[in-house]
Amino acid sequence: MALHQFLLKMWSLFRRRSMRREFAEELEFHQSLLREKLSREGVPEAELDTATSRRFGNGQRWHERLTELWRFQMLENFFRDLGFSSRLLRKSPGFTLVALSTLALGVGANTAVFSLINGLLLRPLPVPHAEQLAVLRIEEGGPEPNYEFCAPLFRGLEDRHEVFADVFAFNSDVLQVKGRSGNENIEGMLVSGQFFRALQTPPLLGRYLTPADDRRGGNPEGFAVVISEHFWEKWFARAPDVVGRKLTIANTPFTVAGVMPKRFIGADPTRNPEIYAPLSADPVIDAPRNHIEDGIHAWWLTVGARLQPGVTLDQANASLATVSLPILHQASSDADWISGEEKGHFHFLAEPGSKGFTFARLLFRKPLEAMFFMCLGILLLACLNLASLLMARGAVRERELATRLAIGASRQRLIQQLLGESLLIAVLGTAAGIAVAPLVSKSLATLLMSGPMGWHLNTSLDVRVFGFAACATVTAALLIGLVPALQATAGDVTEHIKDKQHAGKLNRRGIWPRVLLASEVGLALVLVFGAGLLATSLARLYRSGLGFNSRGLANIAFSMDKQPLEGDALVRLYQSLDDGLRQQPGVRNVSFEFIVPLSGRGWDNEFAASGAQLQRLFLNSVGPEYFATMDIPVFAGREFTWADEKASGGKITLNQSAAKLLFPGESALGRQIVDREKHSYEVVAVVGDAKYRNMRTPAPPEGYIPMQQDEQKKLSLSAVVRTDGPVNALALPARALAARLAPTIPAPVVTSVEDELKDSLSTERMMAVLSSFFAVCALLVTGIGLYGTLSYATARRTSEIGIRMALGAQRGRVMAMIFRENGLVAAIGTTAGTAAALMASKALASFLYGTSPFDPWVLVGSVTVLTVIASGASLLPALRAARIEPMAAIRCE
Amino acid sequence: MVREESGELIQGTLEMLILKALGRGPMHGYAVAEWIEQTSQQVLKVEEGALYPALHRLQLRGLLNAEWGASENNRRAKYYKLTAEGKKRLNAEAQRWARLSAAVAFVMQTS
Repeated sequence: MALHQFLLKMWSLFRRRSMRREFAEELEFHQSLLREKLSREGVPEAELDTATSRRFGNGQRWHERLTELWRFQMLENFFRDLGFSSRLLRKSPGFTLVALSTLALGVGANTAVFSLINGLLLRPLPVPHAEQLAVLRIEEGGPEPNYEFCAPLFRGLEDRHEVFADVFAFNSDVLQVKGRSGNENIEGMLVSGQFFRALQTPPLLGRYLTPADDRRGGNPEGFAVVISEHFWEKWFARAPDVVGRKLTIANTPFTVAGVMPKRFIGADPTRNPEIYAPLSADPVIDAPRNHIEDGIHAWWLTVGARLQPGVTLDQANASLATVSLPILHQASSDADWISGEEKGHFHFLAEPGSKGFTFARLLFRKPLEAMFFMCLGILLLACLNLASLLMARGAVRERELATRLAIGASRQRLIQQLLGESLLIAVLGTAAGIAVAPLVSKSLATLLMSGPMGWHLNTSLDVRVFGFAACATVTAALLIGLVPALQATAGDVTEHIKDKQHAGKLNRRGIWPRVLLASEVGLALVLVFGAGLLATSLARLYRSGLGFNSRGLANIAFSMDKQPLEGDALVRLYQSLDDGLRQQPGVRNVSFEFIVPLSGRGWDNEFAASGAQLQRLFLNSVGPEYFATMDIPVFAGREFTWADEKASGGKITLNQSAAKLLFPGESALGRQIVDREKHSYEVVAVVGDAKYRNMRTPAPPEGYIPMQQDEQKKLSLSAVVRTDGPVNALALPARALAARLAPTIPAPVVTSVEDELKDSLSTERMMAVLSSFFAVCALLVTGIGLYGTLSYATARRTSEIGIRMALGAQRGRVMAMIFRENGLVAAIGTTAGTAAALMASKALASFLYGTSPFDPWVLVGSVTVLTVIASGASLLPALRAARIEPMAAIRCE
Repeated sequence: MVREESGELIQGTLEMLILKALGRGPMHGYAVAEWIEQTSQQVLKVEEGALYPALHRLQLRGLLNAEWGASENNRRAKYYKLTAEGKKRLNAEAQRWARLSAAVAFVMQTS
């Protein structure tokens, strides 16, 4: 019925004029019949017209009533309100600017962070029936769930089809693909036989990889690969005959079997592989490493599965529980390992996998959630601020609204109109926020995910993001509009109209404005305190020192694993690279290292002084003059030299912590230590401690071994170069040098250690930067809110203040009176905010370095800053009030 | 709305009466008013100012259809006709009214 009515009304919209004519005709017809009837009843001709119109009434009025019936009352009122509201907003551009920009900030920040969360945590994989996918993990009694599998365990699972239609594994890898100018590093993925079948995405061209490709040595014709549409475009210019062509990967020919469409990204949402190669090609692709042969010592695979239709996750887990132990026993003959795992109640567990799997999720979930709550805080703050400003404005319009109520406007109608205004602000502000959100989220994603892991995050807008933004808009509009609207129309009608002076009536206006302002102050304090904690923690992290000097230090990574030289010949190649790099302008020192500090990678072994207990040391292989290059102090002994070869006997340099650990209270220099395999090393130097895996962990005990004595055959090292010039300037010479000395290796990657350092702190930095930004905004918004409401209130009291002054009130007293209005609100807000901040800060504890979540100095600092802002915002209106000229003020009423 | 001779208003009954009138076949507005007046033996007088808004409201709600046609004396007039929905509503209203008036009569008769 409602639809019928709507359609009829819509129809009438298009035929307004003929509708009006029909109304007139219908009424006229009735009138004429009435007239005839009256005439039949004997009314004289002269009186007929008056009698008819007396009986019929005012034709014009009936006409209007009919027209009204056929109109969209609500809609037309709404448009009228909108027009009225936009006129009002245009009249006070300052208010409008503040309103729109705070809201845009709140909504923009929220949408940006939400699209990050969406990209990382919510968006399902773009494959058919993603809900049937599962991710497998191993429970073995450790504190953290383990998502890394070794090949034997995966192969044991692969053929269990009782509950799974397909079980697959994958591993992101960098492939060395031969291009026109030597080998290039290309992002790729090793995938098991059922990978593509499980993901059910048909190839664009050719075929995808099947279990027949995932055999030792590949399918009968050799190894096959599937490439991405992007790679097809870049390397083959979309050649239609690409299927069957050869690609040389790791110096081995691979046949292109098919092309996957753009939308297909595999099962890791943060990866975008260009080439998919079979898992069993690992010995070729990762040579000289061989993860498959390493068996239970290489945990390198992510395992997923597609459930059989109709099978639930619980059923799958029940089935996995029964096969876990048999697979474990099959995986290895290492009895120690098996019994260790059995003690930890080893079993496989399937969890929902519609969103695929990425390690980035484990790392970034908590920081993103923390940031999301911060954003919600700022949005709430923006809304509270707008509500209080609108309320103050509503107070100015109080009399107008009261008058309208008195002459018959319904309360509902007035609320509608006031809501229209806030809806307009909300829609415009949100639109502005959403417009900038993609840009913000993209840069946040880059800030967060920059670094050695090479994660991509798709933060594009989708249905979920728009839905979120729409919810945010509506909630904001209601929050902003309803309180002031109810407030402004609540009063007693006659009170408002009588009440001309408003003298001393501030109390009467109720508790609402003060509650809003106080919660604003409290919320701002929470945000400022949180930001203070994060910033302090970051500063302490930086100040904690690295143990080496990162300024002017470059890393040049050489991939030597696929070139022909090894052993001493490779050392000589490194020596020539060393010479070549030293000749570059600005270069002061050059050395080599295996583990790049702070890259997250690590290598360790156990060592003992003779007769003493084994101690765990972290290790690195380094070149000559390493400590001079890194600016690590050498406390005793000497640097390594090119003469420290294998033949000259094992050498090791200990850092201070390691020396203390192995030789407590003695000098370590010249002593011998042995490792677990009974190799012995002479301690040739003791050097300063330096951070190893990341900045958060203090420098561990560490040993350095000469690079010539490293047991890996084809050691890929990074050159560390201390330069006076810009780090980027080294990229071209390094490439030229590599092309001349080792023509088959991919172009070396040059990075600045300063940048890497920043990357390793990306989470901390982003949280500190964002929270500080939010804190500044919160302070600004709160200041504006306090200032705005107080100056509206003061403006309304101009005449009252004038009278007070005329009666002899001191200017100082007047100032204090106005100032006190906000003082109380700020004090209450600060107290409540402190309590809330101390409760909320616990959630930040895990992000803090060397900083307590209850750090008293940060708290005192936050309260001080807020007090200064609040005082400043209250002082201006107070000063203005004190400058009121009594006579002028009284006269203006 | 509908005015009884005593001048009191019977709330909400006009629409029911219009439906009843049109239950006999298509009519224009004037005829509806006449029929109600005559059938009630001049007890119920329909005000024009209420009649047309009521007719249009019923039309908007889909209970009536309207069509232009020729009147008895060959003039263009707007004829209203019950829709299927309107017939259903008429039956429902008639039953409700019968129950209501019987109940009221019963209450008033008790001594």
